Amino acid sequence: MISISPKVLATGSDALIKSPLDLNNLPPEQVALDINKLNLFYGKKQALNNITMSIPKGQVTAFIGPSGCGKSTLLRCINRMNDLVDDCHITGEINLNGHNIYNKHVDVAELRRKVGMVFQRPNPFPKTIYENVVYGLRIMGENNRRNLDDAAEQSLRSAALWNEVKDRLHESALGLSGGQQQRLVIARAIAIQPEVLLLDEPTSALDPISTLVIEELINDLKKQFTVVIVTHNMQQAARVSDQTAFMYMGDLIEYSDTNTLFTTPLKKKTEDYITGRYG
Amino acid sequence: MDNLQIGRHISGQFNEDLERVINNVMHMGGLVEKQVADALAAVDQRDVTLAKQVLSKDYQVNAYEVSIDDECTRIIAKRQPAAGDLRLVMAIVKTITDLERIGDEAEKIARVALENFSTSQQYLLVNLDNLGRRVLEFLQLSLDAFTRMDVDAAIKIHQMDDKINREYEALIRQLMTYMMEDPRSIPQVMTVIWSARALERIGDRCQNICEHIIYFVKGKVVRHTTAEEMKNL
Repeated sequence: MISISPKVLATGSDALIKSPLDLNNLPPEQVALDINKLNLFYGKKQALNNITMSIPKGQVTAFIGPSGCGKSTLLRCINRMNDLVDDCHITGEINLNGHNIYNKHVDVAELRRKVGMVFQRPNPFPKTIYENVVYGLRIMGENNRRNLDDAAEQSLRSAALWNEVKDRLHESALGLSGGQQQRLVIARAIAIQPEVLLLDEPTSALDPISTLVIEELINDLKKQFTVVIVTHNMQQAARVSDQTAFMYMGDLIEYSDTNTLFTTPLKKKTEDYITGRYG
Repeated sequence: MDNLQIGRHISGQFNEDLERVINNVMHMGGLVEKQVADALAAVDQRDVTLAKQVLSKDYQVNAYEVSIDDECTRIIAKRQPAAGDLRLVMAIVKTITDLERIGDEAEKIARVALENFSTSQQYLLVNLDNLGRRVLEFLQLSLDAFTRMDVDAAIKIHQMDDKINREYEALIRQLMTYMMEDPRSIPQVMTVIWSARALERIGDRCQNICEHIIYFVKGKVVRHTTAEEMKNL
C-alpha cells in the first residue's frame, strides 16, 4: 500500500483503502502457520536460509521468485513432503495451530489430512470422478453412501466443477480436460476439509481460460481454507494473493501485502525481479 | 535518466518501448515550453505573427498527448508493468495531461497579443511580464527535474508555486485598482486578468509534474499534502 497523508485519509477515502495486515505482529488467532527459523539442507547444500514468517488465516499467500529460489521447497515443508527426499535435513519449526509439525510425535498422515496439496500437473487417480473425490474420506473410514454423496457434491461445487460433471460422476476422471482435472484434484483435496491448502504452480500446465477459472476458485476457497500458492506467474500472484513473499537463493527477501509488493516494493531485488530485470 | 534504469530489462523490446515513450514526453515538454515562451514573447512584443504561430501549433501538443497516451495503454496491455515501471507509466500518463493543459493555457495567453491595446493601455501588459518569467522558469525547472527524475529538485521547486500564487494575488489587487480608477479600461484589464490566471494555472500544473516525479521515485502520494509534510519526505 502506498503511503498517503493522514489528512487525505481522514477526508473519507478510508472506505476505498483496505489497510493491510501487519504481518510482523499478527494476533495469534489470525495466524494459520508460523514458520520459525527454518533451515533446510539437501545433503550439504543449504536450500532454505533461516526463514521466519507468519501466514495469516483465511487468506491467500503467494511465494514468488526465480527457479531454484526455494519457494517450492518451502511449500513442501508445510506438509512434510520433503520427508520423502533422501538426504533432506531440516532445522527450525513450523507451527500449525501452535504445534510444531516437525515434532517427532506428529503423525504425518494426520498432518497431510490437515494440510492438503495440489501439484503442477493434475494427477487424478485412474478411477471415476466420484471415486476420486471421496477417496480420502473412504481411507478415513467413511462408508456411509449418503455422507459420501453429500461430500462429493459439496466439494465439486466448491471446486466450481459440479455443473460440468454432475451427469457423469461415474465416468473415468481421465476423460476430463486438463483444467477440469485440476479442479477435480482440488475437489479431492478439499473433500477431507483440510485447514490449509497448498497449491504448487496449479495452473502452469493449463490454458489461459482454465487458469482464470482456477484463479476465481482460489478466491472462493480462501473463505474456507488458508491457501498458500507457489507460482511462476507474477501477474497471477498479483491477482490472487493477499500476501506475497519474494524469495531468492533460499532467502526470504521481502514479505508484505500484495498491493505494496507490486507497486512499491521496499527491496531493490524485489523490484528488479517483478519488473523483469533479472530472474 | 539514471534513476530510470529502463535499459536493464531482460526484454529488449520493453526497454525500447519505454525509451520511446520517455523521448516523446521530452519532445512534448520541449514543445510546450516553447509555446509558453512564444506566447509570452508575443504579448510582450505585440507580435501578432508569433501569437498566430502559437495558436496554430497547439494541435501538435494535443497530438503528442494522444499518441503518448496510446503508447502507455499499449505498454500496460502488453507488458503488465509492475513497481517502478508501473509508477513510471502512471506518472507519464498524468504528466502529459498536465502538459497538454499547459499548452491550452499558452494558447489563451497568445490570444491576448491579438487584442487591441491602445498605446496608453500598454502599461497593463507590463504587469504580466514578471509573473510570466517566473512561471516559465518554474516550467523549465520542472521539465528538467522530470528528464533526470530528480526527486530532490522536484521537492525543492514544488514550493515555487506558493510564490507564484502570491505574485498572482498581488497582481490581481493591482489590476482591480486600475479598474476602479478608470472603468473604461475594464475590458482590457479583464483580458490581462485572464492571462494572469492562465499563468497561475500553469504554475499549478508544474507543481503537479513535481508530484508525479516524487510518486515515481519514492512511491509516495504527495498530492494534497502541506509544505510541512513534504519536508518530512
